Amino acid sequence: MISISHLRKNFGDLAAVDDLSLTINHGEILGLLGPNGAGKTTTIRMLCDLLERDGGEIHWETTGELSEIIGFCSQENLYWPRLTCREQLVFLGTMHKMSAAAAHSRAIELLNMLGLAGKTDVYAAKLSGGMQRRLNIALALIHDPPVLILDEPEAGLDPQSRILVRDLIRSLARQKTVIITTHNMDEAERLSDRVAIIDHGKLLEVGSVDSLKQSLGSGDCLECRFETDLGYLLTEKSSPATQFIEAISSLGLATDTISVVQDKLLIRSFQHLEKLSALTDLAKMQGLEIQDIQLRKTTLEDVFINLTGRALRE
Amino acid sequence: MIWAIFIKSIKEQLRNFWILILTVSMAPFFVFVYFLINEASQPHYRALIVNQDQGVTVQDEQINIGSALLPGFQEYIDSMENIPLSIRSAGSRAAAIKKIETRKADVLLVIPAHFSQALLSEATHTPELEIVGNLTSTGYLISAVWVGEMLNEFMAQQTGQERLFTVKETALGLSGQIDEFEIWVPGILILSIIMLMFSATIAIIVEVDQGTILRMKLSGMRAWQFLVGVGSSQMLVGIIAIFLTLAAATSLGFEMRGSFWSFLLITVLTSISMIAFSLILAAVTRSVTDVLVVGNFPLFLFMFFSGAAFPISPQAWFYLGDYGVSWQTLMSAAPAISALQKTSIMGVGLADVGGELLALVFMTAIYFAIGLWGFQRRHLRTK
Ligand SMILES: Nc1ncnc2c1ncn2[C@@H]1O[C@H](COP(=O)(O)OP(=O)(O)O)[C@@H](O)[C@H]1O
Ligand SMILES: [Mg+2]
Repeated sequence: MISISHLRKNFGDLAAVDDLSLTINHGEILGLLGPNGAGKTTTIRMLCDLLERDGGEIHWETTGELSEIIGFCSQENLYWPRLTCREQLVFLGTMHKMSAAAAHSRAIELLNMLGLAGKTDVYAAKLSGGMQRRLNIALALIHDPPVLILDEPEAGLDPQSRILVRDLIRSLARQKTVIITTHNMDEAERLSDRVAIIDHGKLLEVGSVDSLKQSLGSGDCLECRFETDLGYLLTEKSSPATQFIEAISSLGLATDTISVVQDKLLIRSFQHLEKLSALTDLAKMQGLEIQDIQLRKTTLEDVFINLTGRALRE
Repeated sequence: MIWAIFIKSIKEQLRNFWILILTVSMAPFFVFVYFLINEASQPHYRALIVNQDQGVTVQDEQINIGSALLPGFQEYIDSMENIPLSIRSAGSRAAAIKKIETRKADVLLVIPAHFSQALLSEATHTPELEIVGNLTSTGYLISAVWVGEMLNEFMAQQTGQERLFTVKETALGLSGQIDEFEIWVPGILILSIIMLMFSATIAIIVEVDQGTILRMKLSGMRAWQFLVGVGSSQMLVGIIAIFLTLAAATSLGFEMRGSFWSFLLITVLTSISMIAFSLILAAVTRSVTDVLVVGNFPLFLFMFFSGAAFPISPQAWFYLGDYGVSWQTLMSAAPAISALQKTSIMGVGLADVGGELLALVFMTAIYFAIGLWGFQRRHLRTK
């Protein structure tokens, strides 16, 4: 278990991490979800003791040197371009006080797990972007650390690599505590046991994917995309959009299940289909053109929108 | 289009102002360097004088004209401001000859044992002074003429008599033995080690540049472990460079006179010293490009002022054994060159270069301490 309490970091006037408290349970995969600039990397770097914190405590249940506890894969790929995959894994293993033989067999094992077996003796500089990312994950795992911290592991991965990486992370679950950061709700949703949503350095909500979704209430989500930016129109008084939203309320859908983000209107309800034609009529009456309508399950994106009024993807 | 590229390029330069400043200050720096070189290499001739006069006893009184003459003569020469000649008395003829052999002096004037006796005797027996030097060197020719003329003038002034002595010239046997080329070989050998500055700094900074220092930091590595590890590999580079240079010099006629082991010890110590210096350079740079720009400054200082490319003998602050410590010693290559000249040209033992070795080790320790501290602060600290 890792407990973080009241963690803070300021860069000048900017509170990059602002009073963040979080507990990470042993053997779980925790997703730190937030848009770019939310403070995920800053949090992680303080966790790895790569950045001095301005306040707060980090308590590790596991005792020992931090270097032995943590395996860290940074957001950017860090590798030795003029060493082969095997050489750098063995080198880093030795740096972690492993015997050369142990480091070597571990290196081969990891290269196999990450689909790099064919690149064992290839210089890292010669790998494709996705392969370099996988090599970086292998480097984080070389010393078999109990805690694995991955900063945006899927960033820049091709779909094929993504599947490999996801399988690997899932296979590590239970044996290791895994913390991943992502701005991709799909990644967070598919991988994490629990998700911590952060924005502007603050922890907004933490819980299992299901419980976060349930916090929005039950029912599915109807997503209508308009030709115009509805959110922008709403900032003007008595615009067609304002009147439209007011009119929807009269349809008998509770207002707190309605949210607008840019060109999207999201309605959470059990009775979408019955109200669908009434809805399109109302839009038409206000001269608002609906581009497409989608009925889908609630996602973490919806949770984020509900918490911040903004979409995760800018 | 060209305008846009121009503007973009200017912006980038300004945002990389550290490099920009160094680039534009390089030329003024050189003007300064050449000024100093010029100052330092103003022709200046150094004469040595050895007084072997045994004196005479006249009416129970010991008279030694040689030693009576010496301080006045020295003052007389120093008072001649338009003549760039200085004269110092040397302990013995042998010591003085050693200095001439290593180009520390141009001429030696020997006052013979019977000097007083000859001058005071009734007979018109004029004493014969000996002038020793390398007959092929212009420094010798000029200073020999001056020394002879000025001693004559000085004695005429004192006694009212001209030509009180005759002069015998002794050519040093080494005139053909050690030539100008060989004198320079130790400096060039050390220069090959000075060049390590670049490769060692780059070997260190590349980890910072590509970010892999983070991985090593996360492995719980200590700064000194990293630096000793990288340093050892650079040692190897240094040793190869030294042997290549030595092989080149030997094939062109350089003959090493001292012991091989003193040569090895001095060059290895110098390599360690340059690697330690590289840490300082690594502490003030962030990328390989930085190193290539910033590194020129210390490189040229070491090249021009440590004696690797020019003979420079600044005023000593104090002496460690025979070695005069001066501002030049701040560049550890200076004592190294001095030690190497003495051991491999004159063939002296390590004991005779103790001062140089001490200065070299001391400066290395200082470089290492500053470098380690700076590197840790700049590149390994959690900010
Ligand atoms: N070294 C730094 N100096 C100044 N500001 C920084 C620094 N590192 C991060 N920031 C700022 O802190 C905020 C959080 O950054 P970061 O933790 O990298 O976000 P995330 O990883 O969630 O995208 C951003 O606004 C970023 O610009
Ligand atoms: Mg980040």
